[in-house]
Amino acid sequence: MSERSDVDAAEQSADIVADGAPEAKVAPAPVAEPKTRRLNITGRRNLFFALSLIIIVPGIVSMATKHFALGIDFAGGTELTVAFANHPSLAQVQGAVDAEGVNGSVISTGGDGYIIRYPPLTASQVTGIEADLKNRLGPTNVQQILVVGGTIAGETIALSALAVVVASVAILMLLAIRFRNVPGGWRAGFQFGGSALAALLHDVFILTGIFSIMGALLHWRIGEIDAFFVTAVLTVVGFSVHDTIVVFDRIRENLRVSQRLSFEQVVNLSIMQTAARSIITSFTVVLVLAGILIAGGSTLQGLALALLIGIVSGTYSSIFNAAPLLVVWRRLQPLR
Amino acid sequence: MQLVLSWPVRLLVVGILVLSLFVDGSGYVYRIANHYKLTGPVPGLPPNFGGWQLYFHKGLDLSGGTHIDYQLTNFPNGQNRADVQQRTIAVINKRVNALGVSEPEIRGAGANNDRITVDLAGVNADQAQKTIGAVSKLVYTKWVKDDKVQGGPQQGYKPALTGLTGDDISSATATIDSNGTSWVVNVQFTSTGGSKFDALTRDAVAACPGAGNDCPQRHLTIWLDLTQKDIDNWEDSSYVAKLGTRYDPGCLAAQTPDTVCGKFLTDPTTVEEIAGGQAQISGAFTQQSATDLATGINSGSLPVDLVALDVTQVSATLGAESVKLSIAAGLLGLAIVVVFMMVYYRLPGVLASLALIFYAGAVLAVFKLVPVTLTLAGITGFILSVGMAVDANVLIFERFKEEVRAGRTITAAVDAAVRRAWPAIRDSNTSTIITCVILAFIGPAVVQGFAKTLAIGVVVSLISSIIVTHNLLAIVLAGSSFRRAGLLGVDRVRTL
Repeated sequence: MSERSDVDAAEQSADIVADGAPEAKVAPAPVAEPKTRRLNITGRRNLFFALSLIIIVPGIVSMATKHFALGIDFAGGTELTVAFANHPSLAQVQGAVDAEGVNGSVISTGGDGYIIRYPPLTASQVTGIEADLKNRLGPTNVQQILVVGGTIAGETIALSALAVVVASVAILMLLAIRFRNVPGGWRAGFQFGGSALAALLHDVFILTGIFSIMGALLHWRIGEIDAFFVTAVLTVVGFSVHDTIVVFDRIRENLRVSQRLSFEQVVNLSIMQTAARSIITSFTVVLVLAGILIAGGSTLQGLALALLIGIVSGTYSSIFNAAPLLVVWRRLQPLR
Repeated sequence: MQLVLSWPVRLLVVGILVLSLFVDGSGYVYRIANHYKLTGPVPGLPPNFGGWQLYFHKGLDLSGGTHIDYQLTNFPNGQNRADVQQRTIAVINKRVNALGVSEPEIRGAGANNDRITVDLAGVNADQAQKTIGAVSKLVYTKWVKDDKVQGGPQQGYKPALTGLTGDDISSATATIDSNGTSWVVNVQFTSTGGSKFDALTRDAVAACPGAGNDCPQRHLTIWLDLTQKDIDNWEDSSYVAKLGTRYDPGCLAAQTPDTVCGKFLTDPTTVEEIAGGQAQISGAFTQQSATDLATGINSGSLPVDLVALDVTQVSATLGAESVKLSIAAGLLGLAIVVVFMMVYYRLPGVLASLALIFYAGAVLAVFKLVPVTLTLAGITGFILSVGMAVDANVLIFERFKEEVRAGRTITAAVDAAVRRAWPAIRDSNTSTIITCVILAFIGPAVVQGFAKTLAIGVVVSLISSIIVTHNLLAIVLAGSSFRRAGLLGVDRVRTL
């Protein structure tokens, strides 16, 4: 399949207009009237980079010093999700659990629901504890029991990290291959791929950083990371690249048909042309996620919140970071 | 691009999608017509597509049940690990069948053939572990003199393995003894087992011959899972005190290398030589324990030791709750998207919504056909793929508006929009599919389910947006009455 559009270049360049506020020395004559609202995003790139850093830096500091609050599947241990018919208070439940002497801790999930965590226990110990809770606190409804040994927890972490790394490398390769036929060849391809990868890492750091702050620093339960969180990170990776590719594809197309514009102007124009699509798509997904966050059960809420943060970040980074980064890179390593 | 949009390909793809919907839909019609329930597997219902019944395969987090990952340890020397793993799976299968679980899933895993994953719907963790890890390896021992032995069933004697084990038994049945008072287990030895047993009983009687005589050597003692290591510890009186108590199935099923469980079953005197390969095990059984023992013996012994690495038990009520929530979330998401598309893109939005509903139906049909086991994470993947399906449409429509503004006729604009949006759609979806494939292979189990549904969703969404939306647009806009600026969400329309 050819990259070439069969609409001829001259015809297409009609809808390419010059950037409205060119700082360049050779200002091209403004063509036609402006058709898209024009913002100079590439020009103010340092502002946008700074904005990202304001969130990323505290996140990294938190990750480096406080690490993460680990959910049961990463930390290992035993977790019982129980509802009590007799409406005991948190203190009563904690009292009963303390009396068992197996080092359990209790978290309220609202209503009559509690999550009780222990170190890893055997099946007969779990049965004993269930009976004991029933004795002390009345009829129980055990909704979920999780027992995770250290081996599995370690493997889950290793596999998750490996998956993120391999996926990132594969995406870099894909972009380099796809964009090698822009002027500049393979090197340009790697500039595109590398910028997309940077935007991707930006989103991963924003997401993991915010969760580190929420979980390890503020001790919110929603900030705990588990296998669902890994799912969220990977989805965000997918979405982020999705958004970035749409912008880059437009740059690729515009580079072919507009010889009169500088690289920076082409980039800015392309951002403007695709921003509406990026924001609309993300907006619909955000609406869906907000629905899950409000209506979904506690299992899905953490996932929905992580996706929400990641997708907003992904849209921001593809518009305000990926493409401007490409401009910076092109300045440092000119290709024409 | 030309390839994807050529008419034979269009017809083929649309044909496949319609067929999949038709097959799925006709399944429902058949169920309604014959008064079967609408969801889930129905025993006795003839398969309605390619030998399969079509229904959603629900993961344990939706149906409720127990998931266990076992580590296999103590592989027998000199045997192919993959074979041992398969044999273990076969034994677990037999044991689980006694529970009457529908569709138990027992799979081998682990790079070294050293893992087995068990999914049992509707069974709690305690019951599952007792059944699977149930110890059924009968061990017959004779007694040898050892003055240092302080405790156990025979003071001053320690047991010696006779080589006769549960593996020499061809069948076992729980029954009431001839007096009609207590429960016993009747066993039938295999031919080699029978002759071993014959020899053992003859030797035992010969140790102190004569009716009514008794000496320790005349006892053939039966244990569960007794090992040589246990016998080597026989001079440790506290060890023997624990070991010599009546066997404890719960303790044995969940044992770790450090726990000492009771393994003693019965210590009968051999009254006479027994030929013919039949014997009776008595020993304070209840109906339940006799039946459990018989079942355990019949399903064979595990060739390896099982250690539970992780256990997940989800109650059926929580599962049902999750199903409700995910259906609600999915419908809510779909509704939001449809309303938004119609308001923002007018006529094309309506067409895209049609394509989207078509898309959702096709994906769900594919889930049943493959079949994909749906979990919470999997459903999340599906809901997200709806977002990606919308994205392809949005790309096309935004492009369409641009092309119309640039002065193209409607027909030319539709074609140009699809053609120019294609590289972005292709590249972005390729990146998602690549990510999914990687996850499906190396991700943790939860993530794998997610990756599969997302990948299927993305592939179908590509087809849905490029082929279905495009063709709907082309067909509808062929009628001039629809070519109005207001309907298309653009300022003005160039008329020919």
